[in-house]
Amino acid sequence: MTQSKSDLPQGTLDLLILKVVLLGPIHGYAIAQRIQQISRDVLQVQQGSLYPALHRLENRGLLAAEWRDTETGREAKFYHLTAKGQTQLKSETENWKQLAKAVRLILESSEADSL
Amino acid sequence: MRWWRRLAKRGEMERHLDAELRFHFDGLVADNLRAGMSEPEARRSARLQFGGVEQVKEECRDARGLAWLDGIVSDLRFALRGFRRDWAFTLASIAMLALAIGLNVTVFTVMDAILFRGVPLVKGNDQLLFIQERYPSGRCCVSYPDFEDWRSQAHAFQSMAFMADGLVPFRERQERPTDVFAFDVSTNLFRLLGVQPMLGRDFVPADEAPGAPLVAILNYRFWESRFGKRADIAGLAVQIDGAPATIIGVMPEGLDFPTQGHMWIPIAHTPALQQRGLTPGGFEVVGRLRDGASLEDARTELVTINRRLEAEYPVTNRNLFINLFSYSAQIAGENATRIFGSLWAGACLVLLIACANLTNLTLARTIGRSREFSTRIALGAGQWRMVWQILEESLMLAGAGGALGWWITNWAVRTWAVATASPYQVVDYTINSGIFAYLVAISIAAAILVSLPPIGRVVRMEMKGALKGDARGVTEGPRGKHLTAALVVSQTALAVVLLSGAGVLVRSFVAIVSADTGVRDPEHILVGSVRLPSDKYSIPNARIGYFERLDAQLRTIPDVEQEAVASALPAGLGNLRPFEIEGRPDQQDRGDSAHFLSVGSKYFRLVGAPPISGRDFDDRDRTGAVPVAIVNESFTAKFWPGEQPLGKHLRATDRSPPGEWRTVVGVVPNIMQGDLIRQSFKPLIYLPARQEPVGRRAYFLLRASLPRDQLASAVRAEVQKVDPDVLLTDFGTLKAHFAFDRDSMDAEHSELAKQAAVSPIFALIALLLAAIGLYAVMAHSVSQRTKEVGVRMATGAAGEDIRRMILSEGMLPVAIGIILGLVASLAVNRILQSQLVGVSSYDPITMAGAPVILFLVALLACQIPARRATRINPTEALRWE
Repeated sequence: MTQSKSDLPQGTLDLLILKVVLLGPIHGYAIAQRIQQISRDVLQVQQGSLYPALHRLENRGLLAAEWRDTETGREAKFYHLTAKGQTQLKSETENWKQLAKAVRLILESSEADSL
Repeated sequence: MRWWRRLAKRGEMERHLDAELRFHFDGLVADNLRAGMSEPEARRSARLQFGGVEQVKEECRDARGLAWLDGIVSDLRFALRGFRRDWAFTLASIAMLALAIGLNVTVFTVMDAILFRGVPLVKGNDQLLFIQERYPSGRCCVSYPDFEDWRSQAHAFQSMAFMADGLVPFRERQERPTDVFAFDVSTNLFRLLGVQPMLGRDFVPADEAPGAPLVAILNYRFWESRFGKRADIAGLAVQIDGAPATIIGVMPEGLDFPTQGHMWIPIAHTPALQQRGLTPGGFEVVGRLRDGASLEDARTELVTINRRLEAEYPVTNRNLFINLFSYSAQIAGENATRIFGSLWAGACLVLLIACANLTNLTLARTIGRSREFSTRIALGAGQWRMVWQILEESLMLAGAGGALGWWITNWAVRTWAVATASPYQVVDYTINSGIFAYLVAISIAAAILVSLPPIGRVVRMEMKGALKGDARGVTEGPRGKHLTAALVVSQTALAVVLLSGAGVLVRSFVAIVSADTGVRDPEHILVGSVRLPSDKYSIPNARIGYFERLDAQLRTIPDVEQEAVASALPAGLGNLRPFEIEGRPDQQDRGDSAHFLSVGSKYFRLVGAPPISGRDFDDRDRTGAVPVAIVNESFTAKFWPGEQPLGKHLRATDRSPPGEWRTVVGVVPNIMQGDLIRQSFKPLIYLPARQEPVGRRAYFLLRASLPRDQLASAVRAEVQKVDPDVLLTDFGTLKAHFAFDRDSMDAEHSELAKQAAVSPIFALIALLLAAIGLYAVMAHSVSQRTKEVGVRMATGAAGEDIRRMILSEGMLPVAIGIILGLVASLAVNRILQSQLVGVSSYDPITMAGAPVILFLVALLACQIPARRATRINPTEALRWE
C-alpha cells in the first residue's frame, strides 16, 4: 500500500510504459527489463507498481492486451498501444519535455544565483 | 466491457492475472538461473524481489475499477460463510430484527392511517374539518339553522355540508320494507369531498328543494349485496320511508362517508329541521377549509358567529359551544396524535433495544474475530474494506430481518384492521409503497447503528496493530467492557419504561372493564337488542303494545324468571336531557341535565336494585295515568341533598312545550349508566316504559336459570312469533356486554383500549430482547474469561464464589438500568396521565412491579452463563494456553 517504490515522480511510470510499449507488443516482464536496461539500471520498476499501472492503462483504454506465445513457447499477456494510447503518449511526452525544460531552467538559474 | 460482463468474467480475469504474475515470477527465476544461481536460490531471490503477490493482485483489481464490486461479492461470500458458522448468532439476530422491525412498521402503518391518511378516496383530506355543537350538559350535535349561518358567513371555509343519519324503511317493489342506514346530507357533500359517483349522477341543489322528488345514491357495498351490482340501477324506482324515490347513482367502492351506511339521500327541509337549538337528528357538519386557512381561523370565526347567534336567540343558543375536529381527532379522539405518537415512540424504543442487542452480539463476534481482522489488515486489506465488510454483514442481517419484518407487518396490520373494524370508523389500512420505503429506511438505519461500534473497534485495532497483542485470545479492553455495560444499562432502562407504561395502561383498562356497575350477578342476566321496523312502529303506542306482547311471550319460556324492557343497557349510555325541578326555575347554564331511561316495571328487581325508598314501577304506570319517575341515589345526593325526594316534581325541558310534571315515586340504588369510562354513578331519571315508550331500538333483559346457549333458540322463536319483522341482535349475557364494547365508547377511550391491548406486546418483546441481550453479553463475557475463571478456581475459589462474581458483574448494569428506567418512566407516564382512568401515572403497583419483573428475568438470563462458569474445569481451562 505504500506507494511509488520506484523513485519516479507521479505519473511518470505511465509515460515510460507507454513509450516502451510503442516499440511493439510486449509483456509485463519485458517492460520492466526494458525500462531497467534503457535507463542503465537507474530505474528499477517494482512489479508492485508495474502491474497495477498496466491494468490501469488497460482499463483506461490506452493499452490493449492479448495472450500469445513467447519465443520460448509459453503464453504471456502482450500489451500494445491503442490509438488513444498513441495520442496520449504524444501529449504526455510533450508535457514532460516542457516540464523538464522548465525545471532545468529553474535549477540552472538558481544555481547561478547562489554562486 | 460492461461491469456485469466483467463480473461474469471475473473468474477468467483472476486466472489471467495469476498467469501474468506467474509469468513474471518465472522470468525472474530464469534470469537468476542465468546469472548462475542454483535453482532454490534463484526461487528465493525471485520471491524476495517480487514481494507480496496478493497485494499486487489487490492493486491490480483496484486499478481495474471494479474493485468495489469484486469486493462486495467476495465479502458477501465471506459473510455468508461466517453466518453459516455462527448460525445461532445469525438466527437470533434476524429474529430479533424481524420482530422489532415488524412491530415498528406495523405501528407506523396504523399511525399513518389514523393520523395522516384521512378518509379513503376523499381529495385534500387535510382541509376537512368536522364540526359539532354541544350544550354544557353534553347534549349535541348540530342545529341546522346554525349550520346555514356558518355556511353563509364563515370565510375560512370553501364549502360546508350538513349530515344527519337514521334508519329508514326501504323497499323495491311490494315486498316488506327493510330498514337501511341512510345519511341525510346537503346535496353539495360529494362535490365538497371531490368524489364522483361511479354510476349515475351526483346530487344537484334542486334535489334538496322542498317538494323535489326523492332521490338516493347508493353505497357500493349495498349496491353489491342488494342489487348484485346491476348496471341499470340508475333510474330504478323504489320506496324510501313509504315515499316513492329514485336511485340516481352509486358511489365508488370504498367510499364510506362519514361512516358506513347503505345510502345517501338529500336532507329533507322539515319544520323540525329548521328549529333553532339542538334537536335530535343533527349529526355533524363537514367543512372544507379555504387554502391557507387553519383550524384555529375556522374556530375563531365560528365562535364569533355563534356568539352573535347567542345574542339573537338566547333561549336556544345559550352556552352552545362548538367543537372542530380534524379527521384523526374525529375517528380517534383529540389525543390521537399523542396516543399513536407514543405508541410509535414505544415501537422505536423496541427497535433501539433490538439494535443494542445486535450491537452487543456483533461486538462479541468482532472481538472473537479480531485475529481474523488483524491478519487481513496485516495482509494489506484496506481499512475501508474492513469497515465496509462489517457494514455489509449488518446490512445482510437487517435485510433478512426487514424481509421477515415485512411479512410480519402485512400479517399484523391485517389482523389489527380486522380486530378493530367498526362501522363507525373508516380507516384506510392499505400497506403502500411509502410504508415499504419506511421499512427499508429503518432497516438500513438499524444496520448502520449496529455497525458503528464494531467499526470503531476495527479502526482502533488497525491503529494499534492488534496482531502484536495476545494472539491467543484477544481479550476485551476496559473500553469494550464499558460499552457493552452501557448497552445493557440502556436496554434495561428502555424495558423498564415500556413495562411501566404498559402496566399503567393495562391497569387503567382493567379499572374500566372491572368497574362496579351496581348490577347483581350480570352473568345470569340475558339481554337482547331488538330493532323495530319504522313502518309499523313509529307510533309510541305500537311500541308499547309490542313490548307487552313480547313480555307475555318470553315469560312462557319455562326457565325465564323475569323479563323487562329498557331503552339502554346498564353501563351503556342514557338519553342525556335537560330537566327542571318544580320550584327551582331557570337555573344557570340552561338548566341541569340527567340521563333519562325508559324501563319496564320489573327492571329494578331484575338487575338486583329494587327501590330503597318509595315504590317500584307497576302496571298502573301507563299512558293516561299520573306521570311518575324514579331517580337514583346519585340524583338525590346531587339535587336534593338531605331532602325527601318522594313526591317532588320534575320534567324534561327539551321539547316545546315541556312535558308534564312527573312525580318522583321511588329512589333506587346506583346503576352504572352514561359514563363511558365507568368511574362514577351519574344522576339518573327512570321513566316507566308504558308512559314514555322506548325507541325503535331497545333492549330486553331476562333473568333465567338456564345458560344462554340453551335459551337462545327458544328466545329467538318467541321473538319471531311476536313479529317476524323485528330484528334480534346481540343476544348474550349482560356480563359479556360489560366487556369492552368499543362501539359504545367514545373515540378516545376506544383508542386507549386498543393501546392497552397492544402495549403489553411491546413490553413483552422489550423484556425478551433485554433478556436476550443480557444473556448474550454474559455468555460472551464468561467464554472470554474461561482462563481467568480457571486460574481462580485452581487457586481455590469455590463454584459459589465464581457464580457470585459473574452474577454481580451482570446484575450491576441491570440495577443501574432499572433505576434510570424508573426515573425515565416517571416522566414518560406523565404523558399518559390525561388518558388514564382509575389509576395514577405513578401507580405504585406498576412502578414496583416492572423493576421486580425485569430484575427476575435478568437474574435468570445471567444465571445460565454463571452456572456455566462454575462448571469450568480448571485444568482444562488452563490447558487452553
